[in-house]
Amino acid sequence: MRGIYVRVLIVVAGIVLGVVAYHVQIDNLGVGTTTNRAAGGVVAAWASLAAGMAIWSRRPGNWLGPLMVATCFALLARQLRYSDDALAFTVFFALGELGFALIAHSALAYPSGRVTDRNERRFLVAAYATAIAFPLAILLVHDEGVRLRYFDPHPRRSLLLISGQDGLARFLEDAYTVVAYGALAALFILLVARRLRRATPRARWILTPVLVGVVVAALWAVYNSVIAFSAGPPPSVSHNIFWWQIVGLIALPVALFFGLIRSRLAHADVGDLVLRLDKTPPGEIQDALAQALHDPTLEVAFWVPERGEYVDAQGRSVELTADGHGRAVTRLEHDGEPLAALIHDSTLRYEPELIEAAAAAARLALQNARLQAELQAQLVKVKESRARIVAAGDEQRRRIERDLHDGAQQRLVALALDLKRAQGNLDGRADPEVEGLLAAAADEVKVAVEELRQLAGGIHPGILTQGGLAVALAALANKAPIPVTVDATVDRLQPELESTAYFVASEALTNVAKHAHASSASIRAFVENGKLVIEVSDNGVGGAAADGGTGLRGLADRVEAQGGRLRIESPSGGGTRIRGEIPCAS
Amino acid sequence: MRVVIAEDSALLREGLARILVEGDFEVAGQCANADELRDAVRRRRPDVAVVDVRMPPTHTDEGARAARELREEYPEMGVLLLSQVVEAAHALALFSERPEGFGYLLKDRVLEIDDFLEAVRRVARGGTAIDPDVIAQLLGRPRADDPLSELTPREREVLALMAEGLSNRGICGRLFLSPKTVEAHVKNIFMKLGLMPASDDHRRVLAVLAFLRS
Repeated sequence: MRGIYVRVLIVVAGIVLGVVAYHVQIDNLGVGTTTNRAAGGVVAAWASLAAGMAIWSRRPGNWLGPLMVATCFALLARQLRYSDDALAFTVFFALGELGFALIAHSALAYPSGRVTDRNERRFLVAAYATAIAFPLAILLVHDEGVRLRYFDPHPRRSLLLISGQDGLARFLEDAYTVVAYGALAALFILLVARRLRRATPRARWILTPVLVGVVVAALWAVYNSVIAFSAGPPPSVSHNIFWWQIVGLIALPVALFFGLIRSRLAHADVGDLVLRLDKTPPGEIQDALAQALHDPTLEVAFWVPERGEYVDAQGRSVELTADGHGRAVTRLEHDGEPLAALIHDSTLRYEPELIEAAAAAARLALQNARLQAELQAQLVKVKESRARIVAAGDEQRRRIERDLHDGAQQRLVALALDLKRAQGNLDGRADPEVEGLLAAAADEVKVAVEELRQLAGGIHPGILTQGGLAVALAALANKAPIPVTVDATVDRLQPELESTAYFVASEALTNVAKHAHASSASIRAFVENGKLVIEVSDNGVGGAAADGGTGLRGLADRVEAQGGRLRIESPSGGGTRIRGEIPCAS
Repeated sequence: MRVVIAEDSALLREGLARILVEGDFEVAGQCANADELRDAVRRRRPDVAVVDVRMPPTHTDEGARAARELREEYPEMGVLLLSQVVEAAHALALFSERPEGFGYLLKDRVLEIDDFLEAVRRVARGGTAIDPDVIAQLLGRPRADDPLSELTPREREVLALMAEGLSNRGICGRLFLSPKTVEAHVKNIFMKLGLMPASDDHRRVLAVLAFLRS
């Protein structure tokens, strides 16, 4: 409640001071001004007040509102300083130049209300210092007999006068004109240009209209500085410059206000969004929101409750640490539960209504999209686990095969060797029955070793382990009932890749033998574009299909589990070509 | 003859060492992995190394790779590889155009102690010892225009033993044939296959293997 009283009080003070300022100008600048010009100056100040109060009430936390209100009072002070009264003259002359520094401050603080850039801060410190120091210095040396720039011939008495120094006062006035209207205004234009160049697309979209307005005003200041030293402009030019200034002073607060609450204007876009989202497939909701919010960099992340994290439309997890670097995150909720998050240009943070409106419009579509993203996320999980299951199965087979060969088989061979040696050492000196038993035992062990090898080979082809894919494929071709040529240019690869490629070739050759009625076949294996390619072709009858119970389905599953794919070309009567492509790291 | 053994199973390594010693070999080193093998060969300069294809750490083809390096570095030394499984393709890939001083046998062959010792001696002398299974695979390969079909069963047996690396005398011993008979078979085989008669055992193995792998 107190806030409202304060604001009402400020508005009343602004209006009263405006009226006073009007009369001060009419009464004291009889020669130099007209009622129109006096009224124009007051209206320009009131424009800042109106825009400042409006921003203040809509964006209570944003310093831009108070800054613009202060601008209003500074602009009024500039008019009140024409008073004949010594106290009013002294006080308002001291404050009268602050208005331009405040305008620059507002423009640079737009839209966040804060100036964060170091160079911009330095500039503002310089601008405020200039706007305070020069008038105070002039007041110290201004003798009432001398006419001040922009003032009528009536004498004004400074209460701060130490000693009248006409030359120095004149010099200070000139210097101030050059520094403030010339150098600082030019610097300000450079800062604005730099800001536009560096801005994100969305920030540029917001900033451009406002800052172009400001630059026009600043150009006026520079021009003013230049003509101040010429013989004195013809009255018509001076007249135009004055009204240009008034228009600029009114346009700037209006532009800042509308720029900041553009969300109100963007409602048309958002309303359009509601209609469009109805027909937007979930995958494109991000584009639709980006368009409606004028932020091409906008990303949507969906909340997946089971995983307790955000994912993108493809189901990949997304970190929401984007604050800073011109990025900001807005979290959307539904019934108190997280729904989605928008990762967007940080300038959107100053238009919460726009985001809220867009989010409200998109809520239903977002919920749909979220469900789909959740599904995608589950699919990614399933794919990953499928690959892991296959890899684990392979790994286990390899390990069993290895354990059989390197454990049991070695021990059995060693055992048989001992039996053989025992037999040899006896050399006919022992009981023939013992010798017979030893020989039989040694033979039994030999058979066991052979069986063990067959068993291990059935679990995992040992030749693949110790010879690699190229050798194992050649071995496979050697065993085929028809001539099979092998062209394998691969080196050793990761074991699961070798296994998958080997099983593709093995299964394909089995099919060739069983179904193809082919007279020859060929196997090719090579690495191309980061993929291991395994290809088995024959010149048989064709007509093979993945769903024909030929084991091709299982093969395709296996290849796909490793992120690859299996293609089967088998036109009836035209031979069969089975090609597996599996991504590999090397 | 000096021999170095590389075999990761201690039990089997000891067994191998014992039968080699009993077969009048001097066992100059017993190694449990490929690094020890390289080291032993460099320091002891054996006539022959008996090497397990699979050894730690990965139990894939450490032994075979070490053997290939050592064959390049010491061409005079024979290398006999013992393999858990034998495949013709693997054998051909391993001896890579140079069957001299090379052997590739299934591990269980050590149980035929005399044949095994003979194979080690052959390889040590620069000869060849290829596993019978490998030769059987090469002989059994389907061929479009098969000159092997013209051989008699006995001639096929002799061809297989030639391909394994055996000399005429070795073949006589295995097949219980007289040297004259074996010589006659060899002559016939070379004629039927259209091969140039070879004067020594090395060239004969080369010619036969070249024919079989073609």
